[in-house]
Amino acid sequence: MKKTLTTCPYCGTGCMYYLVSDENNKITGIEPTANHPVSKNWVCVKGWNSFHFVNHPDRLKVPQIRKNGKMEQATWNEALDHVIARLREIRDKYGNDSIMFFSSAKTTNEENYLMMKLARAVFKTNNVDHCARLCHASTVVGLATTFGSGAMTNSISCVDEADLIFVTGSNTTEQHPLIGTRILNAVQKGAKLIVADNRKIRLARHAVLHLKHKNGTDVALANAMMNVIIGEGLEDKEFVANRTENYENLKKTVEKYTPEYAAEITGLKPEEIIEAARMFAKAKKAMIIYSMGITQHSHGVDNVKSMANLVMLTGNLGKPGTGVNPLRGQNNVQGACDMGALPNVYSGYQKVTEENIRARFEKAWGVENLPSNVGYTVTTAINAAAEGKLKAIYIMGENPMMSDPDQNHVREALEKLEFLVVQDIFPTPTAKFAHVVLPASSYAEKDGTFTSTERRVQRVRKAIDPPGQSRSDWEILCDVAERMGYKQMKYKNPGEIMDEIASVTPIYGGISFDRIDQLGLQWPCPDKNHPGTPVLHVGKFTRGLGLFCAVEYKPSMELPDKEYPFCLSTGRCYFHFHTGTMTRRSRILDREERFPFVEINTSDAKNLGIRNREYIMVATRRGEVKAMARVTDGIVPGVIFMTFHFEEGPANLLTINALDPEAKIPEYKVCAAKVRKIS
Amino acid sequence: MKSLTITEIEQFLKSVEPEFDLRVPIRLHDGTRSLGGLNEGPLSLMGGKIPLKPTSVFFPQTERVFTRESDGEIKMEKPGEKPILVVGYTAEDADCLEFIDKFFSENFRDDLYFQKRDGSVIMVVSGKCGPDGGFLKIAGGKCDLELICDGERFIAQAYTEKGRQLEKKMKASKEVGDIDSLKKMSDELPDDDLKTIQKASELILAEKVPDAFWVEIGDRCIACTSCNYACPTCTCFEVYDRVHDGTTVRERMWDSCQLDGFMREASGHNPMGTEDIRTRRRIHHKLAADVTRWGHLTCYLCGRCDDACPTNIGIKSVSRMIVERYSQANEK
Repeated sequence: MKKTLTTCPYCGTGCMYYLVSDENNKITGIEPTANHPVSKNWVCVKGWNSFHFVNHPDRLKVPQIRKNGKMEQATWNEALDHVIARLREIRDKYGNDSIMFFSSAKTTNEENYLMMKLARAVFKTNNVDHCARLCHASTVVGLATTFGSGAMTNSISCVDEADLIFVTGSNTTEQHPLIGTRILNAVQKGAKLIVADNRKIRLARHAVLHLKHKNGTDVALANAMMNVIIGEGLEDKEFVANRTENYENLKKTVEKYTPEYAAEITGLKPEEIIEAARMFAKAKKAMIIYSMGITQHSHGVDNVKSMANLVMLTGNLGKPGTGVNPLRGQNNVQGACDMGALPNVYSGYQKVTEENIRARFEKAWGVENLPSNVGYTVTTAINAAAEGKLKAIYIMGENPMMSDPDQNHVREALEKLEFLVVQDIFPTPTAKFAHVVLPASSYAEKDGTFTSTERRVQRVRKAIDPPGQSRSDWEILCDVAERMGYKQMKYKNPGEIMDEIASVTPIYGGISFDRIDQLGLQWPCPDKNHPGTPVLHVGKFTRGLGLFCAVEYKPSMELPDKEYPFCLSTGRCYFHFHTGTMTRRSRILDREERFPFVEINTSDAKNLGIRNREYIMVATRRGEVKAMARVTDGIVPGVIFMTFHFEEGPANLLTINALDPEAKIPEYKVCAAKVRKIS
Repeated sequence: MKSLTITEIEQFLKSVEPEFDLRVPIRLHDGTRSLGGLNEGPLSLMGGKIPLKPTSVFFPQTERVFTRESDGEIKMEKPGEKPILVVGYTAEDADCLEFIDKFFSENFRDDLYFQKRDGSVIMVVSGKCGPDGGFLKIAGGKCDLELICDGERFIAQAYTEKGRQLEKKMKASKEVGDIDSLKKMSDELPDDDLKTIQKASELILAEKVPDAFWVEIGDRCIACTSCNYACPTCTCFEVYDRVHDGTTVRERMWDSCQLDGFMREASGHNPMGTEDIRTRRRIHHKLAADVTRWGHLTCYLCGRCDDACPTNIGIKSVSRMIVERYSQANEK
């Protein structure tokens, strides 16, 4: 029996626990840690079951190469030589930017760093991105513009100190359970809760005010709240004067968003908006918690800027119990961004377009001529592949066939590629298109770090050996670099990679495996003696003054009409995670949600003659999917909700490939749909 | 009467290591206390109950039931080579073990459980070694041997033949100890929690707790399942098969009555389809149904569900709320 302290591979809360393993190299369960500041003796249902996919028979164990249209087993040498040869050919024929690298928020910081190093130093392209594009790209852009740092401003423990918590577009008890429970406990102790979300999520049962505004009308709601706050003189005048700029512009923009005007857009009553505005402004310490409901829109960046405007206007920043708190969805989506697995920045958000920064990385990596043009994003890469402009993609731990919008479009793109490498732990729907499949190891089989939503860099530890011939992503990436003739990507262990990260990444400057042996540190942590930073922007914003970015309400790209009368919103459920590759291979979790389902309001179902648990067809302009009707009053009439976990009923066959112009995030939360009974 | 220092206990444990599969209180990497071998972390006798489900020693989160080879041959799991020696149960844990021994042997005997349990030795740790210097109830039986802390040393009290054999192997630098005064302290420990759950049990059985109460409690349950997974007397499990390269492996793993799938029928109908009914069942089972079935409560007040619940709806908290609201004295 062995117990290995590690970090959960599901959401971004960053719970730590012990993996219990036996002498047969098998994990038999998990054991909570009593001492962690976030998980403190607690684990959610995904956490309790987070070991169960590891030993699943479907695990990829041997490299495979496509020969004559069929996948055949190969040795590592054959597989990697083939990868190198094909990538070289394509690069020589079409240029550096004909190849794209998909990094992964599921893998460690060290692996994300190496993926971007491989793309930039070895293949000389900034075509590197990962699934943050699909969840919080709007946050990274929006908060970097307004505050200078695109991350959660406060710590999870700040929930305990808030007087008012405004939760919007986050089903927190299901998606970040141990943050959700902190909100529930704060309410028990007297904090006020406002929920702005038109699904009747669990938190809504505990809210003093539940705003069921229409999908995609968040800017109108926030602008109207600010209209009320300014109109009634409830803004924090001192904070606005001393800590911010561009206030007059904001004031002018929100002038027309009277509660009555916004009520027409949002579907709320004017008095609900007024009450929310007063409560938020009058609270001593108010915080905003948001997630995908804010970010996954064609105006996601505008939504994020609105959240930032609201907290700046009320002075709720730079102190405990306040802030703009985007909850990051993946275990390491914060870290993957921090590591520069993005097409415009190196690690620590250092821009590729700045010459002095490129020079610093050229020196550190021993290379010349690092590319200066911003690369493709995950979403624009798929578009470019469909158009024939992008020729090869190397995917590490991502599953665009299930996760990206408009599945038929993704299929077309993947089919057009001349070369596709998929490095993963399971045979995903994306792997079906691969020319080479490389078996990787899971979180339980390697060392490294994940960075949680509160910017806490924490250890991941190897509990057991990887199955078959599978290897850690970092080892595979180093092998690829070496075979490409690059000498400066050799490490004895992930600790050495972190030391290199610290040397080139100011916000990680003080991070090392020794320092985070038992408990992680929150960045910025610039040097070895720095204790980490629980609250950002204390006294001064990262960018100096906070920038008010006034934004106008823009409707979503595809609104319901006569032919497609429903608004389709997509997301996740409590028991499954993203494309289901891990949770659907975990016994208890898969038992809980076994079928693709669609939530539909009771009155809508009645009008259409649809019964609970009856299979129905859901259609959009992109296609049609069969799903089990879940008839409920938890969703408002006119809106339906699906999750993207199910290969046999893929919600992303239906979603629209409409992107935010800046963040390039897809509009997963709004598209027009219709439903019909299966005769 | 042998009175041992912690070092002497550690020496004793090392001396019996060749004979036993040791599960003793240790500190893990970040200081969390657990049950494990001496090589897994420093011995940690002080501090009271171990956070994890103590009966997981005999009923782990997952275990193999059998394998079926591709030629059809079925291989049952074999017992471990050495009997298990557990040190560090509290008196309450010993109560829980006594109950699940009864549960797993009633009607049909759970072979997998008794493969581990048969031949095992249980040592309770009690006395002046609780959290923050608190006093832990003395079991006075229900185990093979008890180590009662007087604040400095541990007095060994054997209750069974196995316990006496092990006691003989203990080398103590002192042979006296004031057990009577410690027993008196144990007898004088407050029993408020016991009275509370007894009262809550009476109120539930008398149908004094309205449905609205369970809706309120259920609204706070996020179905993390930690209450069940931490509870020493929760014994429900799920069975599943996995096929690895032609070999079918049947395993079982902890299940939870707080999950929808626990009672969902093939049709999709669920007689326990809402959180309020599931929460009611969880409390009702230990405080009402089992009282009718076994003649006693099956919550022994270890407090683990209260510690493990992130929203404070463990059995003690809920019982307190029931008594505060619905007992006659408090009824408005």
